[in-house]
Amino acid sequence: MSSVILRNVNKSYGNLPIVKNLNLEVKDGEFVVLVGPSGCGKSTTLRMVAGLEDITQGDIQIGQRAINDLPPHKRNIAMVFQNYALYPHMSVRENIVFGLKKSGADAETIKQKLADVSEMLKLDDYLDRKPADLSGGQRQRVAMGRALARDADVYLFDEPLSNLDAKLRHHMRSEIARIQHQYNMTAIYVTHDQIEAMTLGDRVVVMRDGIVEQVGTPMDIYLQPTNTFVATFIGSPAMNLFEATIDGDDLVFDQYRIPASKIANVDLHDLGSHDTVLVGIRPDFFEDSALSSPSDNLFEFNDIQVDLVENLGFDKEIMFKLGGEDAKARLDLRSHVKRQEHISLSVDLNRVLLFDTSPQGMLINAGEV
Amino acid sequence: MSSILVKNEARLGLKLVAPAVGIIGLLVIYPILFNVYLSFFDVQLNGSKTFVGLDNYTDLLGNPRYYHSIGVSVIYLIGTVVGTTVLGLAASILMNQEFRFRNLARGLILLPYFAPVISVVFGWQFIFDPVNGIYNHVVVDVLHLTDTRENLIGNPDSALFVVILFDIWKHFPIAYLLFLAKLQSVPKDLYEAAAIDGQNAWGRFWHVTLPELRFVIATVVLLRIIWNLNRFEDVYLLAPNVETLPIFTYYQAFAGIVDQGGAAAISVIQLLVLVGLIWLYVRKVLKW
Ligand SMILES: Nc1ncnc2c1ncn2[C@@H]1O[C@H](COP(=O)(O)OP(=O)(O)O)[C@@H](O)[C@H]1O
Ligand SMILES: [Mg+2]
Repeated sequence: MSSVILRNVNKSYGNLPIVKNLNLEVKDGEFVVLVGPSGCGKSTTLRMVAGLEDITQGDIQIGQRAINDLPPHKRNIAMVFQNYALYPHMSVRENIVFGLKKSGADAETIKQKLADVSEMLKLDDYLDRKPADLSGGQRQRVAMGRALARDADVYLFDEPLSNLDAKLRHHMRSEIARIQHQYNMTAIYVTHDQIEAMTLGDRVVVMRDGIVEQVGTPMDIYLQPTNTFVATFIGSPAMNLFEATIDGDDLVFDQYRIPASKIANVDLHDLGSHDTVLVGIRPDFFEDSALSSPSDNLFEFNDIQVDLVENLGFDKEIMFKLGGEDAKARLDLRSHVKRQEHISLSVDLNRVLLFDTSPQGMLINAGEV
Repeated sequence: MSSILVKNEARLGLKLVAPAVGIIGLLVIYPILFNVYLSFFDVQLNGSKTFVGLDNYTDLLGNPRYYHSIGVSVIYLIGTVVGTTVLGLAASILMNQEFRFRNLARGLILLPYFAPVISVVFGWQFIFDPVNGIYNHVVVDVLHLTDTRENLIGNPDSALFVVILFDIWKHFPIAYLLFLAKLQSVPKDLYEAAAIDGQNAWGRFWHVTLPELRFVIATVVLLRIIWNLNRFEDVYLLAPNVETLPIFTYYQAFAGIVDQGGAAAISVIQLLVLVGLIWLYVRKVLKW
């Protein structure tokens, strides 16, 4: 295993910059997830680490080796492709041991690895089949097996679960997490699915348009997103943002006045330099006031009209209007709100985030998580 | 595909090929049968026939020229089939790379295949002409490799190699075309996966390109064998002294002592060999 370091990495196609000045250090044994909307340059970044795309500018290092000019077959990496890329003329067994054999492993090691991997991924019954005779989920497991059988410095995953149905995706997600911990692999995992990112990553890298917006643990990113893009991209349903004007020490929208002094990490003096701010509240942080125990730091939005209730089992999602926007809250199953009812929602002000109204929408009340 | 669809398609297929089968039956099966029939007769030019039983066959099997022409044909087949396949493969891999004017180059490669045999044959004869030919000019006058001007086409032994070379040059484009079509459909990520798995360019060719091309290569080899076992005009026009089986058959049937019965016997044997070859090939090599 090895660390991976990307220093000021740039990639352009012609004059079109795709990845812009990317810096990232993946520690030995760390699982880092690159997440971002489609087309933001995640695959391109991963493929530069693999050597499948050349680096326009900057350096990539694996362990102590600078690998910029090393072709992929000399980098000692393993990779799982989105479309699996299994060798169609080889059996599952041959697919799995192909890279291992090439690396010069002896027959005993190969046999042992094959047995380990095929047991772990439940491939024992399919070893003699060709990829064409496997289902999508089975192919995905073979692709995983081919990578895991290798003794690579770094393991790269490019949206390996995106072609699976929801149930299988969930199952494989847990499998990957388990295997990664078991082998203490250094891994870079690309996905556009924020749930995969949050559940798998030791650290998560949020990208947009070739730029890294934030790097941090899943909790960092959830609780302290650096800007409105990260805030709304991570978390489902997305964070609600309300534009509020600043009146003295209060944030005002609709008929509500929120005392800024009770919001965590707010510098009132600094706040005074803004005319308006965006107030960010995650749907999960709303509570049905009828159920919340009164506390000093709770703010109550009263007289909220419920437009829609969706029962999701344990939670229910409600939609309503706030600050002129469609807003969502996720309430737990004890709440008995009904459509068209008027209710009160409370929010712990420690959980409220403020962003400036610049195009980047930077977090104003950054602090300890 | 579900079996109902397969059946429907099979029925449609039968309807579509029925007229063709009828025509082929008339144009191919009848001459073949007539040929088999003729091979048991001594046929005179005026058309009168006498039944001679297996005489044509025993005569043929006792004729050293027959064995000689089999030898020539085997060399011709191996040379041309291997040559066109290898050259076609090399050209297709080259033309699958990115470079300027690639489309132009891809088209130009096809020229020998489209050019009419009769005109390029004269070109080739001119190249190897002992007095004025470019070949002798370059080898003798420019490079001084030897002192004597050779008549490569005049000598049957060397002419065989000229004929092989000519066939490779003229027919590799069809192999190239089939290979290129397949190469373009090989998924790029297979090469990427192989590179990640530690394979260099040669390893990727061996473990990805060749297996992906396996069926096309087999098809090309099969087609080339069938075509060239019967190839007449290229050889006869360029160097009629190279006695491959078809040429030998022609001499038997129409030149010198005309012996159509004997010629028919040759083609019957050749047909059997060809059918046997194809059967073997389809069952063992292609495993279709
Ligand atoms: N060979 C190429 N030439 C030009 N643009 C490309 C090429 N490959 C990818 N791109 C562009 O680069 C951007 C990033 O692609 P990619 O890294 O695949 O995004 P994703 O984050 O979805 O994996 C996309 O806008 C894509 O259109
Ligand atoms: Mg991608």
